[in-house]
Amino acid sequence: MTRNIKLNRRTFLSTSVAATGMALAAPHVARAAGYPEGNINVFIPTREGGGADRNFRAFSSIWKTKLGTDFEPGFYPGASGRVGYEIYMGKAEPDAYNLIFGNMGPEVLNWAVQAPSFDVNDYLYFGRVDTDPGALFVGAESKLQTLDDIISEGKKRKLNVGTSRMAHPASIGLLALGEVTGAQFNLIPLSGGKNTVAGAVTGEVDFSVLTSGSLIAAGDSVKTLLVFGENRVGERLDNAPSMNDAFGTDLPEMLSSRAFGIHKKAVDDHPDRFEILQRTFKEAFEDPGLLDAYVASKGTPEYLNYGGIEECAAFKEAMLELGAKYKPLLTGA
Amino acid sequence: MDASTILLEVFLSTISYWYVIIPTIFLGLIVGGVPGFSAANTIIILMPLTLAMDLEMGLVFMVTLYCAARMGAGIPAILVNIPGTAGAAATPLDGYPMSKQGKGQQALAISFVSSSLGGLLTTIVALLTMPILARVGFYMHSVEMIVVMLFGISLIASIAAQDMLKGLIAGFLGLMIGSIGTDVVYATPRGTFGFLELYDGVPLIPALVGLFAVSEAFIIIEKKVIVNKSEDGTTPTANWHDTFEGVRISLKRWWHIMWTSLIGLVIGVIPGAGASIASFVAYQQSRSFSKTPEKYGTGHPEGLIAPEAANNGVTSGTLVPLLVLGIPGGATAAIMLVVMQFHGVSFGPSLFESQPEIGYGMFMAMAVAYLLMVLTILPLSRYMSHVTTIPTIYLAPMIISFTLVGGFVPREYMFDMYLALGFGVLGYIARRTGYHVAAILIGVILGPLLETYFLRALKKSDGDITVLFSSTLGNILWVALAASLILPIVMDMRRKKQGVPAE
Repeated sequence: MTRNIKLNRRTFLSTSVAATGMALAAPHVARAAGYPEGNINVFIPTREGGGADRNFRAFSSIWKTKLGTDFEPGFYPGASGRVGYEIYMGKAEPDAYNLIFGNMGPEVLNWAVQAPSFDVNDYLYFGRVDTDPGALFVGAESKLQTLDDIISEGKKRKLNVGTSRMAHPASIGLLALGEVTGAQFNLIPLSGGKNTVAGAVTGEVDFSVLTSGSLIAAGDSVKTLLVFGENRVGERLDNAPSMNDAFGTDLPEMLSSRAFGIHKKAVDDHPDRFEILQRTFKEAFEDPGLLDAYVASKGTPEYLNYGGIEECAAFKEAMLELGAKYKPLLTGA
Repeated sequence: MDASTILLEVFLSTISYWYVIIPTIFLGLIVGGVPGFSAANTIIILMPLTLAMDLEMGLVFMVTLYCAARMGAGIPAILVNIPGTAGAAATPLDGYPMSKQGKGQQALAISFVSSSLGGLLTTIVALLTMPILARVGFYMHSVEMIVVMLFGISLIASIAAQDMLKGLIAGFLGLMIGSIGTDVVYATPRGTFGFLELYDGVPLIPALVGLFAVSEAFIIIEKKVIVNKSEDGTTPTANWHDTFEGVRISLKRWWHIMWTSLIGLVIGVIPGAGASIASFVAYQQSRSFSKTPEKYGTGHPEGLIAPEAANNGVTSGTLVPLLVLGIPGGATAAIMLVVMQFHGVSFGPSLFESQPEIGYGMFMAMAVAYLLMVLTILPLSRYMSHVTTIPTIYLAPMIISFTLVGGFVPREYMFDMYLALGFGVLGYIARRTGYHVAAILIGVILGPLLETYFLRALKKSDGDITVLFSSTLGNILWVALAASLILPIVMDMRRKKQGVPAE
């Protein structure tokens, strides 16, 4: 038996529109459904073995189970993180298969101090992993064992203070401390977190400032005296007070904040892929296994702090403002 | 449980992993020998495997790979003038001339024995004196490190002795190339010509392979084989006697192995310092206190023993700050830290109390690896040395291909391959016009390190240059540096005055 279908104009038009819509949408849907077809490359603008490496491995071990593909890290250190970003922006295809895993604190601060070759709005952070306040610490054998020791000594002579790089939130925290107390500090960039810890421990500098997560990982060889933000881990940072509590200031937290970023063009050209990245990123955060992965990698689970596009954009903006304010001090100009 | 019981237990446990150690030795030799690969990036590539192993096996694997890669880097440096890593940059200075004289097998045996004995000795010394060694970093700050760098850089002057003007020009050219990149204080780009790839400085591996290997390939293509023919027109062939002779030469100079490897150990425990510094400083010291300094650079065994013993001494040295202070002494140690933290190991002073089998286990793994290495690798020197008899019509393109790939691997930039070729042309012109490529390379490798310490010291003193003479240890090192530069000249003058031939 056959069935005659009467194709009137209305049916024809509506069917045509639907068919056209499906035809146009189909490749998109297919692409989104097929995404990711391969591994995701992650550009990390610091060296292997550092805090970013540890943090990335812990987080991606969970995220990859949500996204259904693996992450391939590539390390591009140099020039305070600038090399990694320049290479990501200049050479990586904006196809949502290339992400950057950076530290929104010091790396964005860097743009305020020295503008990059690209427009800072051409990439955006979409997935904040953690927020880690900067801290002031001494080596376990340092003669300066209390904050009072440091301030009184800093009023007698200019103290040399190690920092991983000049443009770092912890450096700004220290400069603020100098403004509040009248103590004199001389920032000495020691190229990376490990060297900054080593500088304080071995006495190359009087003391150092760094992200507190790195200090927790350094264990007993250091003693934390002040946190440029809230001390969320108590004893693991030697119950050090926050800057605002200790000096009655009203400073914002000087945070390092690791986050995944992506080309803006990739977001514009592949909104479906970007949606998958955002969704799976959030799912990774909700997975209880993330906490275990952090604990296993000696990370600090208290610092895990989900943030989406808006939180990241606000953070980026705040860093650019802070950098502009302290630019003369950070550049020696 | 006392320390000796723990050590015995750890030894027995480590040796039971022979089935991991022996294959890893060969893997390490390969990754060390291929320019661009290293223990650090191999551990990263194999990290999923390492993390899947139990902690003890993972430790044995990583430590063995580290030691074997260090030793492996010397093989191509000796045979075809390709240092696999910056730590082996001083090895070809005398190793390659030996190969050209048909003593490649002997040179390999010397390299293996001095590396193994140097590594073994420093491992034992590190184990016994760890608390003291860990203090070295407390005294060696930027001022002291400036002087240590100058020990290595003063080699330029020794090289320049043959032709002062050309030697100094080559050295300064190297220092200028070494200053390319962003400055260490404010990250301001200098001399990068707008190339992003140069922001982090001139990458060492392309510079190394270009200056040494690519330029060498251009040179050897003019000959049929690398080895010079003997007087009767025949090409020297490999035989077991050469291996035994190499062993004999090394063992006869056991004292030389000892003190140069200890230089490596001491430099290795300073966080941030590394094998490239140690090998040049050891070579410079060896030459300064030699009775036959004029033989260095011509295929002198002591010129090969010094850098090889020293760079293996560094290997155990880098573990000391890692284990005692929780601060990795080098790139490979930093990667080990990541892997071990995944296994829940906490570093620092408490490690030897809480997990002594880990602390002692790493050194024991190193000792066992060196012991097994000398037994497994030494017999292979005979076969490896055949490389020097491969006709250059095949060897030269192979060298260029391998080294260009090696130049690419560490950062995966095409730019680095072009850079290696550029350095190859520079090296070729330098050789053909009588400039010493080693002088250029010393500047390229040690220049940026010297600048880092120098700027740091100046920043600490608010620009006061007298800071260079502000520490007691620094001043002692200045005197030692002056002595090591002046004494050989005085001794030489005395010998000439007394009419005693140099030997």
